[in-house]
Amino acid sequence: MKKYLAIITMQLINNIAYPGDFLGRSISIGIFLFIFAGLWGTTFRIAGTDSINGLTFANMMWYLMMAETIELGRPRTNRIISEQVKNGEVAYILNKPYNFLMYHFSFGVGDSLLRVAMNIGVGLLAAWLLAGPPPSLLGWGMALVTLIGAWILHFCMMALIGLAAFLVEETNSFELIYQKFVFVLGGMLLPLDMFPEWLQGIARALPFPYMMYTPARLFVKPDVELFWQMLGVQWLWVIALVFLLAIAYRGSERVLTVNGG
Amino acid sequence: MKNFKFLIALWKANLQAAMEFRSAFLTQVIFMMVNNGAYFMFWVLYFDKFKAVQGWTLQDMMLLYGIVATAWGTAAYFFGHFTTLAEVITQGRLDYYLSLPKPVLLHVLASRSIGSGMGDIIYGIGSFIISGYLTADGVLRFAIAVFTGVCIFISFLTIIQSLSFWLGNTVALSQIALSAVLTFSLYPSALFNASTKFVLLTIIPAALIGSVPAEFVRAFTWQSPLQISAGAFVFLLLAVTIFHSGLRKYESGSAIQVEV
Repeated sequence: MKKYLAIITMQLINNIAYPGDFLGRSISIGIFLFIFAGLWGTTFRIAGTDSINGLTFANMMWYLMMAETIELGRPRTNRIISEQVKNGEVAYILNKPYNFLMYHFSFGVGDSLLRVAMNIGVGLLAAWLLAGPPPSLLGWGMALVTLIGAWILHFCMMALIGLAAFLVEETNSFELIYQKFVFVLGGMLLPLDMFPEWLQGIARALPFPYMMYTPARLFVKPDVELFWQMLGVQWLWVIALVFLLAIAYRGSERVLTVNGG
Repeated sequence: MKNFKFLIALWKANLQAAMEFRSAFLTQVIFMMVNNGAYFMFWVLYFDKFKAVQGWTLQDMMLLYGIVATAWGTAAYFFGHFTTLAEVITQGRLDYYLSLPKPVLLHVLASRSIGSGMGDIIYGIGSFIISGYLTADGVLRFAIAVFTGVCIFISFLTIIQSLSFWLGNTVALSQIALSAVLTFSLYPSALFNASTKFVLLTIIPAALIGSVPAEFVRAFTWQSPLQISAGAFVFLLLAVTIFHSGLRKYESGSAIQVEV
């Protein structure tokens, strides 16, 4: 376990060396929230109501802040794995005394920690200025607990896409499509509460809402019963995807060919 | 005319290079179209619930996406270095272009082609066709809107990235500028207050790429074509002037570079 903690610390230190770069990237949260404040401010005004499908303007803005924080803070494991597979670096990692997937998991955690912290900082400031004070402490607590499961789900999907590099050369396109599934069916751009019934049903049967909607929704509207229910389904998806990832990894190992170096 | 022939030769070479990896190119094109379509799903869901926002309907959003996607795709496919000019400057890779008897800025910009740009172009044209504005004069107005959009996209990012001549590495700043201009251009400026609209017409010219051209295609007035043409001209002039004055400050890293 110590070695994985060392990987997390190492990656965290690496990232702290470039705080300006991280801050610059986090500014896009501000741009995103500013645009959506315009859109939803106008929508609520035109609708002449304080609440649409149970969400107020402030709920909507804080929901989007949390969703965007998750999106910008998710691991980019797929890019690293596929690059390592393509340039042969994977051979140097496989012969080290650690588990390949756990190495990437720890690397991803170290990479995400600072990004999530920066994104929350910038997002908090922007959302507070645009929509007033943040949700209650209970909301923060529920969001943080479900963020862990959401992050693991993202990691599993990213790693699965990265492992696809053992079979196909280019995996960026898979990431783009995956990202859009999370944007739409995960409820990043629009909370599931705003979907038509039939689409809500489809979305809830898939893992995407548990990567995005669950933490963001519980953040703005904390509800104990809903929390346990969503947490349960989220971890069922975690178990299923971890299992799938383990199988995919074993399969990838078998097709790996290293040509000297 | 001589420069135009040079451009054609460059584009031909870029196409030949892309055809060497035909399936990768086609994958990029198809996935970009799917990507744009999936992103547009947000508006389909939004208008399913709200019907219109500040006079903008789903059809108008299709038109807006059509213009922006086609303009972005054209810039990316034909002048691909417009998003990576800062890296070329800071890494000393301008040496190669400076040693050749061709217009430096034009040569740099057109020497790279982003394959997924073709996906944006096809998606954009498709989106325009199904938006319901497909008439003879609508096509002409769409073409003008796209042309000015391409000029403004390229010029704005050239201006920002030319700051690398004075400030050193501006890659992060360029990424923010790119993200801001592209994101804002995909939303109607009617959503924002007067001061934001002013910013979107000047400092971050996103409204000149998206909203104003879309209004021009929706209904003809003299104001909108004048605005976008003047915007394109001013930004183009600024881009060329700033890049060339920066070029005088350029210092080569004497690194050995190979441009392929």
